[in-house]
Amino acid sequence: MSEQIKDKRVFSLSEVMLSIQKTLGNRYGSSFWVKAEMNKLNHYKHSGHCYPDLVEKEEGKIIAEIRSHLWSRDYQRINQNFLQLLKEPLKDGIKILFQAKITFDPKYGLSLWIQDIDPSFTLGDLEKEKQLSIQKLKQEGIFNSNKSLKLPLLPQRIAVISVETSKGYADFVKIIDHNDWNYSFFHMLFPSLLQGDKAAEQLIGQLRMIKRLRHHFDTAAIIRGGGGEVGLSCYNDYHLAREIASFPLPVLTGIGHSTNETVAEMVAHSNHITPTKLGEFLIQKFHDFSVPVLEAEKSIITQSRNILERENKSLENLVKLFRSDSVSLIEKNKSEIKNAMVKIHSNSLSILNQAKLGLKIQTEHSGKIAFRQIREEHSALMRFGQRINEKSADYIKKQQQQLSYIEKNVQNLRPENVLKRGYSISLLNGKSMTSAIDIKKGDTIETLLFEGKIVSRVETILNTKNHE
Amino acid sequence: MNEKMNYTAAFDELKTIVSEIEEGEISVDELSEKVGRAAELIKICKEKLTSTEENVQQILKEMEAKES
Repeated sequence: MSEQIKDKRVFSLSEVMLSIQKTLGNRYGSSFWVKAEMNKLNHYKHSGHCYPDLVEKEEGKIIAEIRSHLWSRDYQRINQNFLQLLKEPLKDGIKILFQAKITFDPKYGLSLWIQDIDPSFTLGDLEKEKQLSIQKLKQEGIFNSNKSLKLPLLPQRIAVISVETSKGYADFVKIIDHNDWNYSFFHMLFPSLLQGDKAAEQLIGQLRMIKRLRHHFDTAAIIRGGGGEVGLSCYNDYHLAREIASFPLPVLTGIGHSTNETVAEMVAHSNHITPTKLGEFLIQKFHDFSVPVLEAEKSIITQSRNILERENKSLENLVKLFRSDSVSLIEKNKSEIKNAMVKIHSNSLSILNQAKLGLKIQTEHSGKIAFRQIREEHSALMRFGQRINEKSADYIKKQQQQLSYIEKNVQNLRPENVLKRGYSISLLNGKSMTSAIDIKKGDTIETLLFEGKIVSRVETILNTKNHE
Repeated sequence: MNEKMNYTAAFDELKTIVSEIEEGEISVDELSEKVGRAAELIKICKEKLTSTEENVQQILKEMEAKES
């Protein structure tokens, strides 16, 4: 009850609060459905109660805000519904459609008492957000960026984002480290939460770390498995999806769940339903490289052998051909030589015969000519002989006449005849003299006369020449 | 990066040799040379499959250097 202090009517605080409580109770007697964003769940583990902060935002600004409370039993039930339908627990930052009643407590003030939450509304909202993430990434033109990167021929060095204790991680490591083909991988763990509210932030952090170390890696793999299927909406987070889409290395995901594909998985280079499948994918990449190498090896061996065989065979054929050609060529030449011999023989004979014939004709011809010539020569000779005879007779007669004339002269010239005619010959020392030059006074000279000889001594010499 | 180039190049060269041999473009004179080269390339490729040269210590060192 109010009291009077001076001229003022004064209420105690509890009276005011109780009045408000009563008024509100009358005005808001029944519960109603409200939609709001649950900024913070504020779940107190000890009591099990939650005191969610509810807000309404317009263009990012808070335009309404109120505290609320959700009693432990209701929370348990509602959370169970969420897990069933959304695969997500009740958590911070989701939009909820809830049934509430306004309460007012004199001590704790105004609050909305959440009695029920409709999970399908939140599901729709999350889906809307997911679609919004996709749309934004597409608008930015990076939705397919990571897919368009080329996975190296051998994705051998793998930056693994996972949790050491995760079954999925163990499966993955087992597959790639103990393969039957001795393929060698290098992998390094970058630990991160893989689900729940904090996961997106940690995943982004590790991705950024790997980005800085990217020259050591061929690919980044996000691996999760065996941890239940709750709290995976972080993979729809726009920022995480953006980091993956624009990541400089191909990002492979093996998150291991049976819910709809998350945005992170959509923008990853490739998504694999489990870590095991992701490991097998990498092994397959090695096969893709190895098998052609082995095939190449096989092909080279067989083809080389084929080429050698083919060349050998063609060489053999060539040798055979060469041999038979040579033999036939020799045979041909032999027969040609034989033919030539026969021809030469017969031709020679005929040439010889012809020559003989020619010779015979020639001989006959020559004989006739010779005879004729001889005859001609003979008759010429005869004529010549006759002429010689005639001429000789004339000549001889002439000569005889001359001879007889000369004989007469000679007769006349005989010393006896000369001496007879009164001439004498003077001899000096037995030699006839024709000059007085050589004669000295006192020389004895002989003078021959026709009859007799005079020996006289020189008295005087008259040099006829000097005389004249 | 360079190593990646190497095995990709090795693999590509190997494929070229195989197709040359399969299409009979190789003479017997070249054959032994090509087969020798192919054997080398196959060895390189096989080694790539079964060994890595990445060093964890080096990565950790770089990680710390960048964090500090």
